[in-house]
Amino acid sequence: MSSSTAGRFVGQSVLRREDPRLLTGQGQFVDDVQLPGMLHCAFVRSESARGTITRLDVDAARALDGVVAVLTAADLNPHAGSMQPTLLLDAPGAPLRPLAEGDVRFVGDPIAIVVAESRYLAEDGAELVEVDIDPLPPVVDPETAADSEHIVHPELGSNVGTDMPFPRSAELEAILSDSAHVVTETFRQHRQTNVPMETRGIVASYIASTGELRAHMSTQNPHEARLAIARVTGIPSHLVQVTGRDVGGGFGQKFFMFRDELTIALAARRLGRPIKWIEDRRENLIAANHARVDIATCTFACDADGMLLGSYIDHIEDSGAYPTGATGGAGALVGMLFTGPYKAGAAAFRSRAVWTNTCGRGAYRGPWMFETVAREQLVDATARAIGLDPLEWRRRNVLRAEDQPYTMPTGLPIENVTAAETLDQAAEIIGYDAFRAEQRRAFDTEGRLLGIGIGLYVEPTAMGAMDPLGTDTALVRVAPTGKVTVLLATGAHGQGIETTMAQVVAEELGIDYDDVAIVQGDTASTPYGRGTGGSGTAVIAGSACRGASAEVRAQVIEIAAHLMEAAPDDLDIVDGVVAVKGTPTRNVAWAEVARISHMETARLPTGMSPGIEATFTYKAPPFTWSNACHICTVEVDRDTGLVTILRYVVSEDCGVMINPMVVEGQVAGGVVQGIGGTLLEHVVYDADGNPLTTTFMDYLVPTATDVPVIEYGHIETASDTPGGHKGMGEGGAIGAPPCVFNAVADALALVGVHIDRTPLGPEAILTALYPDPGT
Amino acid sequence: MKPAPFEYHAPETRADALALLAEHGDDAKALAGGQSLVPILAMRLTRFAHLVDLNRVDDLQGVTRENGTLVVGAMTRQRTMEQADDVPLLVRATPLVGHFQIRNRGTVGGSLAHADPASEYPAVALALDAEFDLASAGETRRVAAADFFLGTWTTAAAPDELLVAARFPVWGADAGFAVVEVARRHGDFALAGAVCAVAPDRAALSLFGVASTPVRCQAAEAALLAGAPPADVAAEAVRDLAPADDIHASTATRVRIAHTVVARAVTKAREDARA
Amino acid sequence: MHDIEVVINGERTKRRVDARKTLADFVREDCALTGTHLGCEHGVCGACTVLVDGEAVRACLMFAVQVDGGEVTTVEGLGGPDGALSPVQDAFRSEHGLQCGFCTPGFVVTVTAFLRDTPNPSETEIREALSGNICRCTGYQGIVKAVQRAAGDAP
Repeated sequence: MSSSTAGRFVGQSVLRREDPRLLTGQGQFVDDVQLPGMLHCAFVRSESARGTITRLDVDAARALDGVVAVLTAADLNPHAGSMQPTLLLDAPGAPLRPLAEGDVRFVGDPIAIVVAESRYLAEDGAELVEVDIDPLPPVVDPETAADSEHIVHPELGSNVGTDMPFPRSAELEAILSDSAHVVTETFRQHRQTNVPMETRGIVASYIASTGELRAHMSTQNPHEARLAIARVTGIPSHLVQVTGRDVGGGFGQKFFMFRDELTIALAARRLGRPIKWIEDRRENLIAANHARVDIATCTFACDADGMLLGSYIDHIEDSGAYPTGATGGAGALVGMLFTGPYKAGAAAFRSRAVWTNTCGRGAYRGPWMFETVAREQLVDATARAIGLDPLEWRRRNVLRAEDQPYTMPTGLPIENVTAAETLDQAAEIIGYDAFRAEQRRAFDTEGRLLGIGIGLYVEPTAMGAMDPLGTDTALVRVAPTGKVTVLLATGAHGQGIETTMAQVVAEELGIDYDDVAIVQGDTASTPYGRGTGGSGTAVIAGSACRGASAEVRAQVIEIAAHLMEAAPDDLDIVDGVVAVKGTPTRNVAWAEVARISHMETARLPTGMSPGIEATFTYKAPPFTWSNACHICTVEVDRDTGLVTILRYVVSEDCGVMINPMVVEGQVAGGVVQGIGGTLLEHVVYDADGNPLTTTFMDYLVPTATDVPVIEYGHIETASDTPGGHKGMGEGGAIGAPPCVFNAVADALALVGVHIDRTPLGPEAILTALYPDPGT
Repeated sequence: MKPAPFEYHAPETRADALALLAEHGDDAKALAGGQSLVPILAMRLTRFAHLVDLNRVDDLQGVTRENGTLVVGAMTRQRTMEQADDVPLLVRATPLVGHFQIRNRGTVGGSLAHADPASEYPAVALALDAEFDLASAGETRRVAAADFFLGTWTTAAAPDELLVAARFPVWGADAGFAVVEVARRHGDFALAGAVCAVAPDRAALSLFGVASTPVRCQAAEAALLAGAPPADVAAEAVRDLAPADDIHASTATRVRIAHTVVARAVTKAREDARA
Repeated sequence: MHDIEVVINGERTKRRVDARKTLADFVREDCALTGTHLGCEHGVCGACTVLVDGEAVRACLMFAVQVDGGEVTTVEGLGGPDGALSPVQDAFRSEHGLQCGFCTPGFVVTVTAFLRDTPNPSETEIREALSGNICRCTGYQGIVKAVQRAAGDAP
């Protein structure tokens, strides 16, 4: 396989081919799908966090004109197969069932489905379903869940889902007690949610005569959806087809299958009519997935110069009632990755995941990003305690090129990262020292609170360590016209895969970008693969594309060599022409080779099969590390509690960039999610487990007036994977939260105020500044 | 998130609209811009058997000037107020009302009649001693803003009464004006906001977002007129405030922000008067 | 049910609609113009923004029956008849002002109306005009630049 850097297409900011249809209203999202005879669904959901269902009466709803069916647990649950994701089929977890049966376990727990001729009528019917629930005390606080007498899942007998210890050695105990500087903090990260602008949705139809089930879905992962639907419905997987043309964002929410979509698929199987369920925003906010509820008490021990000698983190993750996909175990990665981009000395951790009567935790852009949040916030607290500037502490401790490869104390090997270089680049772009001077001046002369914060991280992307998420397959097929179709298992939802993967394939083949089409989002035509998520497309799908392209290229060259009576090694493909190197007049057009391969098979080399295509499956290495440094400056208004971000710089290394425009777009989007998550967004429950943020009036997503211009610095250090890429889709949302937190904490430290939790809205800021309301 | 069924009426005259409201009483709701009503219908937090759409009633539209008063027809779109130069407080308040797409559709009368305690126009009306014309099938009466706002989403208008016009006094050219609010995001309902007008011979100050109705701050107005420093005016204005806790701000935080917006509004209004 | 007559994207159409059907559902379901998207259905996200009688409004906060006799322009009505992108649409593409594309029609309609009324906006004016629309993918970076580009390219 050849490696490409800054080629004709790879490395270029090619404009996206997805855009014209999306800009003109010609995209096809799941709610745009209309099938003959299609019915519409609405869920009846629990309004109690925990309780026993004492009565469920659907007669009035069934009697309503326009209502076709009302399905309850009695109708569906006995027919359901496993609802676990493929990754965790045999793992212990929350007992998943299509509809609540006997009891409810969070507000939003689905109890019944009303199927009607329109969504309006389905909602009319849902209002007529009568549910009586005898309430029980809910488990809402993750910090006390483990010791609660109330058990979220009685089948499991405990509110502790996982407990991962990585015990302290005697050496570490000594470091933690005897070092010159030992700093311990407890940080709390608040509940947030993904909020894709397109909510979840599915149109499912069962064709009884053939036994096929077809599902149009908003999904990041069509093949996982197919496997999961096959398991829950009992329909063989080759008779299940999942398609998704355009997907309106996901950020992890649409990577694994949820109960709701699986239950609709099961309902379609039972009813035998096409049914559509489009989640409304209230459902999305209370019942899709939540994320980010993490608490940790963490310690750094440093010598007199601030050099890190040892660390410990005790972490609790709130899994909610029904977490989705591989989320319950994410906490272990918080502990494993806690020391991040620093020469760490000795380290240990404990990580527990607890069940609560709240909406389940799900994957959200950097599911274990709390390792960066806790570490980077602790770095600043440590530097303050020692009397070092946080930039200087990082410079002293950061991993440098000469330290690599480096093995983290938890055993993870790190290589090819440029944490030190991005730290320096970001500090230079923002003018770190000049800002420090301005901060001092503004405070001394005007009393203003300016702050600067850093978020530095290394990120294990495109993880090959976790089957089946580390493997992807590409099929590259050349038509008799020479045009190329690439079949991928991806479920793009904003990443521009139809553009970027075409760039890769065109580059590898030596043909024009416009002659390569990408087909994805259809299980019937594409090979099995991992879907789109986990910062994996460039490395894993990209390498699969390169592998298949290399084989196709070899086939074309073999045919051309035979036609021209040349040696294959003497040929190259440039701009769609196969020619002898150094003698470009001796050539044959790519399209002519393609035509001959199908239409004049007698001219092919002896024994060669007609047609040109190749399939390649790529298995990623366990980790492909990317890294970035975020630095921002803020002003905290002492009289309103509002935080204004003055400047925001990201210096990142995602290896070879396929499309810099797309890379920067991913960074910006992630950063703004991180800013929103730190300053604005907060899913709130009351003590009874009632969600209080059920609309966009209360769950505050950032808008254009809330965010700064993002400035970029790039360092391109190739990874060891075929294209030299590193994953980067999640990183923006990993670095931004501690960066913003540290900047605010830095500003507040000017007046001796300490913060240790998010979100940082006016309430938190003013309460920190003025703990006594009378002042 | 789809509204429950209702019967739709589209009267073309004020008399027909009032007759429909009289006929259906509590079962009917007037539909103005719909920017607040339609969301709560869609969420099924409320429902009405009859919606009486006022958008085709011509004699509820438009702005006129009568004897030092700006008379704003109830169905005048909020965006029109960006040019209401006679009443600078309306000009300054309007960009803070939602977003421009909302203001294209939302109406002045709808905002006043909806009486959200965190919205801007009711506080402007209260500060200026505006009056509202309330019409029913039988008669029309004029109610002072101070007597109109009774509580959250609650006004002195009877179910068959329609706010048909708002009458805003026009101040002289020597006056200065300011509307200052603090919201979580641009366009959100304010955590607290202040409306301030100051002239050589009079001053007005009201707050919004800090109680179940907009609040007029008479003691603070005296201090404002006497030339007290902004912080002193603000301290007077927030002296008796006890706003409710909610997920965005506690009582203490709202009081502190109220103090801030008053002080800033006083400063801005005085600068405006000098300009 | 109500009989209504509406000009949608320049074409006059007669339909019978339920009183409670929102304008957004009407254009999507009855007129098959699925470019208008529903992101929240309570008037906050702006994905459903359309022009009614030339003014940008939330289609989820109006009922179809209310546009009887009026004109509606959706995102499908902004480009050229041959599928050519409008200057605003083209600028969004050039500046990477969209990723998943779900919020995009609402932004395009919003920006089209905004630039018509404010041809030379400052960055502050641009951000305020955009603040009634939520995008979850782009961080608004490309969108702000697209508006600047469209303003500069405007004839």
